[in-house]
Amino acid sequence: MFSNIITETRGEDTMVRYYCTAGNGMESFLVEEVKKKLAARDVHQIPGKVLFSSSATIHRVCDLKAAERLFLLLKQDSPVGMSTHTSPAKTASMLRSRLLGDRRQWLSAVMTWSRLQGELAASRSAVTASTTQGVREKGRESERQSDEGKKCLQESRKRSYTFTAEESDEKRQRGREQIRRHALEKDDDVKESEEVCATYSKKELEQNVESCSKNMKNMDDLGEDASLESVENVSFRINCKCSGSLSRCVGAQEVSKVMGAGLSKLLGWKADLKNPKLEISVFLSDDYCLLGIPLTRLPLANRSYIKSTGLRSTIAWAMASLAQIQPGFCIVDPMCGVGTILIEAANEHKAACFLGVDIDDGQLQKADENIAFAELQGRVHLLKASSKALPLPSASVDAVVCDLPFGRKFSTRVNMADSLPLILSEMERVLCVGGTLVVLLSPQLSCVLKKLLSHTHSGPKGNKEDESQIGIKNCLVSSSEQQISQIKSSSSQETLTISSLRHQTTLRVSLGAIDGLIHKYIKTPD
Amino acid sequence: MKLLTHNMLTSHVKGVTKGYPLLIKATEVKVNEVEFNPKFVCRMIPKLEWSTLVQAADQLGHREELPGELVPDYEKNEDFLKKVHRVLLEVEVIEGCLQCPESGREFPISKGIPNMLLNEDEA
Repeated sequence: MFSNIITETRGEDTMVRYYCTAGNGMESFLVEEVKKKLAARDVHQIPGKVLFSSSATIHRVCDLKAAERLFLLLKQDSPVGMSTHTSPAKTASMLRSRLLGDRRQWLSAVMTWSRLQGELAASRSAVTASTTQGVREKGRESERQSDEGKKCLQESRKRSYTFTAEESDEKRQRGREQIRRHALEKDDDVKESEEVCATYSKKELEQNVESCSKNMKNMDDLGEDASLESVENVSFRINCKCSGSLSRCVGAQEVSKVMGAGLSKLLGWKADLKNPKLEISVFLSDDYCLLGIPLTRLPLANRSYIKSTGLRSTIAWAMASLAQIQPGFCIVDPMCGVGTILIEAANEHKAACFLGVDIDDGQLQKADENIAFAELQGRVHLLKASSKALPLPSASVDAVVCDLPFGRKFSTRVNMADSLPLILSEMERVLCVGGTLVVLLSPQLSCVLKKLLSHTHSGPKGNKEDESQIGIKNCLVSSSEQQISQIKSSSSQETLTISSLRHQTTLRVSLGAIDGLIHKYIKTPD
Repeated sequence: MKLLTHNMLTSHVKGVTKGYPLLIKATEVKVNEVEFNPKFVCRMIPKLEWSTLVQAADQLGHREELPGELVPDYEKNEDFLKKVHRVLLEVEVIEGCLQCPESGREFPISKGIPNMLLNEDEA
């Protein structure tokens, strides 16, 4: 069944059906966000994706913070039922009948896509113009321009989706020292691209990027009207991903081949692996099949306003959203690193004040550059101190957000577990009553923290707490048991004041190869 | 270091009971233009130690005619909010140090970032 993208009108109230990919555990944040920011309707969540309809402008849709990538929905359907016994010919005919559908629907989808691309292109030139006018200081001009350049890149300068560009982006990021968990952050999207790319040589793809960008420039000049003609003569490429038991019956290449031939026949479109106008994404799983066209070349999760990345931006945003920041709040990150959480939070909350603390000069310097790049110097401030001894009065801040260091780059995991009681008690001390604490932990540290809190809570209250914290099952790795016993011995010697922290929720999110756990607490008058 | 940050900072040297406000000894002060956000300034004012702010601004020679007492109905007084904005967010200590009023311990400020890290025996 095709969705209601069949809308040739260009009025403000045009409903468009989209879907976004999201990291594991991020779907619920994205559902909330599309409802709140885009007044989205028919919001539907499946693992790794959120489908929704909205009449909001494409710029606002592109401004989603919890999403990875944005697609125009072509088709959402029940899974293609296949077994290993199905003959290749039967498989092909099944795929054709299920995935291709009606000619008119493809054409109208491409027209909607072209219209949205046109709107994105128009806003780009508008932004560029206003930026040139608005430059206040000469010295900052170059900085702004590079910012602008980045923005343009993000907003699908090139209409075709090219994997090489994405990969090299990955590599560039990987080279950066401050990305401590990057090796772990290779997400599904990238794996997916590699799968499709495997058949083409790298060089070919690089040339492809260049010629593509040239072509796209020409197309931008032609404007939207030209695109109406060109629905008849579209070059395309299929990007297919099969998962689950279905992938044992049919390969991604096979689907691409059948779809490619089918579309050529149905619409007279031309398959073009190197330089297509249109990228068509096909996801087939045991639970659904989904067809879409990517709307931006780079993932939405690549922020144009962040220079050096630390924690994944979507997770940072989600943590900030859990902190329930209100106007006038003061928010502290006692281990801010390059400042990703604070920048994500400050972009969302314009009337709150943010303080980033870190012990490392290198991290602080990068955080400083990031804050300047994002033009948030007025609201995000930095200082050097230890998270175990914060130079702030007790009960002086409204929220504490923190990504507690863990992962490959940090071999001091045991030390971190040792330090946790003291760090937590500092966080608790500076928080005002009613204040929120949001921390991101490794599964191991999460267990340590749970034990720690149930240990300090005595009596009936403590039992209650234990019950509410059930939900993480597979985190009892052998090493964490050791850590816990260490904690017990060390914490008993110190007088800790974390018993006023009331557990609210624990959410598991994917950081790539490993998961992280977001814990949320509220400080009670206790 | 902006004066908004200074307003929040306290000395946390072991044994110190009155570590606030920290004395500013500046060797380099800059005034950088920051976009005026009246809503933000309005929301921050109730959180400030007003006398600390005025005193710090005075020390740096950037008092901007700020009154010793917080004026009533400042929400609608844009002129006043702009002054507070300037003192709070545009005046910045780039180099210098902060001194604990009780122990005399000095915390260096370098490239605009105060270093409040304590030695092990001080914490």
